[in-house]
Amino acid sequence: MISLAGRDIMHAWGKFVFTGVGLGLLIGVTLSMAGIYRGMVDDGKALLDNSGADLWVVQKDTLGPYAEPSSIYDDGWRGIRSMPGVARTANVTYLTMQVRHGERDVRTMVTGVTAGGPGTPGWPPYLVAGRQITRSHYEAVADIASGFKLGDCLQIRRNSYTVVGLTRRMVSSGGDPIIFIPLKDAQEAQFLKDNDAIRQQRRRTASNPAFNRPQVPGLLDAVIASQSTNSYINAVLVQIEAGRDADEVAESIRRWKRLTVYTRSQMEEILIGKLIATSSKQIAMFLVILSIVSAAIVAFIIYTLTLGKIREIAVLKLIGTKNRTIVGLIMQQAIALGAIGFVVGKITATLLMAPIFPKYVLLEPLDSVRGFVAVLMICVLSSIIAIHAALKVDPAEAIGG
Amino acid sequence: MRKLRVRKSTLAMLAVLIPLLALFVYVALRSGPLAPVPVTLATVENTSISPALFGIGTVEARYTYKIGPTFAGRVKRLDVHVGDRVKAGQVLGEMDPVDLDERIRAQDAALKRANAQLDEAQARQTYALTQEQRYEQLLEMRSSSEEVVATKRYETQVAEAGLNAARGEFARVLAEREALVAQHNNLRLIAPADGLVVARDADPGTTIMAGQTVVSLIDPESLWVNVRFDQIHARGLAANLPAQIVLRSQTGELETGRVLWMEPLADAVTEEVLAKVVFDHLPEPLPPIGELAEVTVALPALPAGPVLPNAAIQRIDGKLGVWQVKNGDLHFTQVTLGTTDLDGLVQVREGLKTGDQVVVYSAKALNARSRIQVVEQIPGVRR
Amino acid sequence: MSSKGIHIEGLRKRYGSGDTAVDALKKVDMLVAPGEVVGLIGPSGSGKSSLLKCLGAVIEPTAGRMTIGDEVIYSNAWKVRDLRALRRDKIGFIFQAPYLIPFLDVTDNVALLPMLAGKPNADSRKQAVKLLQSLDVDHRAKAMPSQLSGGEQQRVAIARGLVNRPPVILADEPTAPLDSERALAVIRILNDMARKFETAIIVVTHDEKIIPTFKRIYHIRDGVTYEEAGEGRGFE
Repeated sequence: MISLAGRDIMHAWGKFVFTGVGLGLLIGVTLSMAGIYRGMVDDGKALLDNSGADLWVVQKDTLGPYAEPSSIYDDGWRGIRSMPGVARTANVTYLTMQVRHGERDVRTMVTGVTAGGPGTPGWPPYLVAGRQITRSHYEAVADIASGFKLGDCLQIRRNSYTVVGLTRRMVSSGGDPIIFIPLKDAQEAQFLKDNDAIRQQRRRTASNPAFNRPQVPGLLDAVIASQSTNSYINAVLVQIEAGRDADEVAESIRRWKRLTVYTRSQMEEILIGKLIATSSKQIAMFLVILSIVSAAIVAFIIYTLTLGKIREIAVLKLIGTKNRTIVGLIMQQAIALGAIGFVVGKITATLLMAPIFPKYVLLEPLDSVRGFVAVLMICVLSSIIAIHAALKVDPAEAIGG
Repeated sequence: MRKLRVRKSTLAMLAVLIPLLALFVYVALRSGPLAPVPVTLATVENTSISPALFGIGTVEARYTYKIGPTFAGRVKRLDVHVGDRVKAGQVLGEMDPVDLDERIRAQDAALKRANAQLDEAQARQTYALTQEQRYEQLLEMRSSSEEVVATKRYETQVAEAGLNAARGEFARVLAEREALVAQHNNLRLIAPADGLVVARDADPGTTIMAGQTVVSLIDPESLWVNVRFDQIHARGLAANLPAQIVLRSQTGELETGRVLWMEPLADAVTEEVLAKVVFDHLPEPLPPIGELAEVTVALPALPAGPVLPNAAIQRIDGKLGVWQVKNGDLHFTQVTLGTTDLDGLVQVREGLKTGDQVVVYSAKALNARSRIQVVEQIPGVRR
Repeated sequence: MSSKGIHIEGLRKRYGSGDTAVDALKKVDMLVAPGEVVGLIGPSGSGKSSLLKCLGAVIEPTAGRMTIGDEVIYSNAWKVRDLRALRRDKIGFIFQAPYLIPFLDVTDNVALLPMLAGKPNADSRKQAVKLLQSLDVDHRAKAMPSQLSGGEQQRVAIARGLVNRPPVILADEPTAPLDSERALAVIRILNDMARKFETAIIVVTHDEKIIPTFKRIYHIRDGVTYEEAGEGRGFE
């Protein structure tokens, strides 16, 4: 027995491939949409991975440095470092802001990393170019997505920073590229007021008789100095000793330091369950709608293809073709269409669509496999309507009248 | 002919489908998580590095003179303005004496009175002494009683005490007057050394407290930079090391200097150590006090040893190390690091030897099972 | 292969039931011997199509008896379980339009039937090519139906009707789209084939050009058949 489906496809393969490509673009959009969702989740995980921390110590009763503002004193790490089970601690600040570079500005998350060397929590875990920060001021490592090049000078608040290294996939949970700068500079960027505000503050302090007392000449200066300190950070990143239980160490910090501590899994829950929950649901909804639309279109295409062959099907039935053969003809075509569509979709999603999205699009192989199965199921299911129509064809139709 | 036509359409279809499938396989294997990770390699080299320390500080003057009156008063006149250079001993201004002259005159009068009282006490003492001598002679002649002589002796002693009291009073009044005169002399504000006027905190007519500053002077020859180094990056900091100073207002222009001393007291709050760096030649014009300066202190070059870029260093499972490539296979080698220079080269004390190949840059985080593809440059990096 | 061709006795077909019932076929009696080509002629609404469909085992008659060869296929009810197999193996169809499968080449269009019956592809094709040779279209064996002329297509259709050597062939207006020369050629072929393969052929037609060629003609009017001797010209 020859393959009727194959022969039919071969007969009009141009039309068939063209239809498949059209379907493929639609599948490509659907895969991209899944990729965008995965990308959002991965952005959150990348942020956690790249911080290199096992525990996040944040202001009491806040949801960590990413989902809510948190500020704690920058010498708090000393007490945490001495807790049993803590191997390393590092102060860190996060500030999402526009960073100026010449004419343009880029939305970034400026991360202040504590002084030290590569491998310190909070530092970029790997680079794609340049070097890690070696000076304790005015150097920056930028994510490649920010568009900065090595040697670029970028402006954060009043200071300019030289880009000495580039990283990849270092993004905030919102997908903004991260720029790493030394902690002290970052503290200044985050907590230092602008010059006008400082001047106004000084004037206001000076006009307050409680601070500006002639009998106590140094008081005003002391008060002003104390107003412009910036000894806060957003979180302390903690690495625990090998073999220690993260929850146990977290509990002892919570208990004795009266700070809120999150473990990796809790942090993931916050980022994925709370921070990007609405937007990911939005994407998921879109994905569902796209899948339904795709299914409807596949069903429509296959139905149309079948209707175009209704006379042949009647003839085939009249000359004694089994129903099984006719079902096979339609279903094989549906599956072939789905397969071409999937291949084209995967290629376009990977090569054409994913790279042009501004945010990360993660096309997971497992998602592709799931997508393939889904496409085939949709094709098989939607061919049922066409099969139903084909089986209803009366072989008598072939005999005129 | 007919056979050929069928083949032609089959060929055409294959011509479309085979590249499509090939592309698909390529896409599936070469992108996404299955793709090999592009990495660049570096060789551990045996070189000498010159580490350096980087800190920021502010320009400060070593000697600052705050000149003001020693007692409360009103500023009468002030002859200098900010930016004036003054000589040692120069009168900078004067305080209003207010009632000081009158108080001196009062003291003069009091002095005269004390003088008169002294004279009176002197006279009394002389008279009492004379009386005593006369009665003693009378007693020898038995023309007076013992009792009367004793009374006269007593009177002499009283008169001597009165004289001493009057002398003391005189000295007191004299000293008080001298104090007022000294105060009067102190009304003038005098420069203690050559210097530059940097602040004029009060203008004539202002009443100020004792100890409050009217004029601040600095010694411009003594400008230095008070530099703060992060404690973690301060290894090797010592006096007399050469330093390069970049003033914030003159980015790009290098001033040279040297470390004068490292402060014995570190800043416990900011976790920094402090050092004073002096200019070899003072920049002209003088930088303003309080200007921010970036200071790079060069440390002596280290003996040659295995060196690798700091971008290669990663921490995996709490261990510091590098991804070493041996015969195309990746494995994580733990290392002990030495000093780093400011260009990102770091000495390796243990774990690697010269000539070892390590991964410097990778397009994503590596693990022991990663497939790698060695490239010249990570894709996507613009130069 | 039967020596008796097709025999129909008292075939009736009623559509609907009760008051709205229509008797399309009232009394149909036909006997076509193997190797014989008979004409079936009737005006529109005479029950021609219904008869053809009943003969083609596409619709079920209401009563009567049909025998193909020695096998009773209908006697007031179907006596054969698999009507598809019956159509495939016992009845060949030739239509007004050729109705070739457009995505199969000429050989496979013909070879499809033996293939459906389970014959190996190579044997089926060999059989098809042989038949095409005898119909003189083997030079187009690898062509697609759309590349053939009308006459060629009709010959291929005939080949398809014949390929399984069915005892009966039903031809529904096989010459309608053809000019008289080609129409006569088709009838000639049918006659040749009927003789060669001992097949009973019923040609439904109202084509004036070919009516004179039949030796025997069944007329059908209001669901009743009447037998008539034809002129039988031209192919003796």
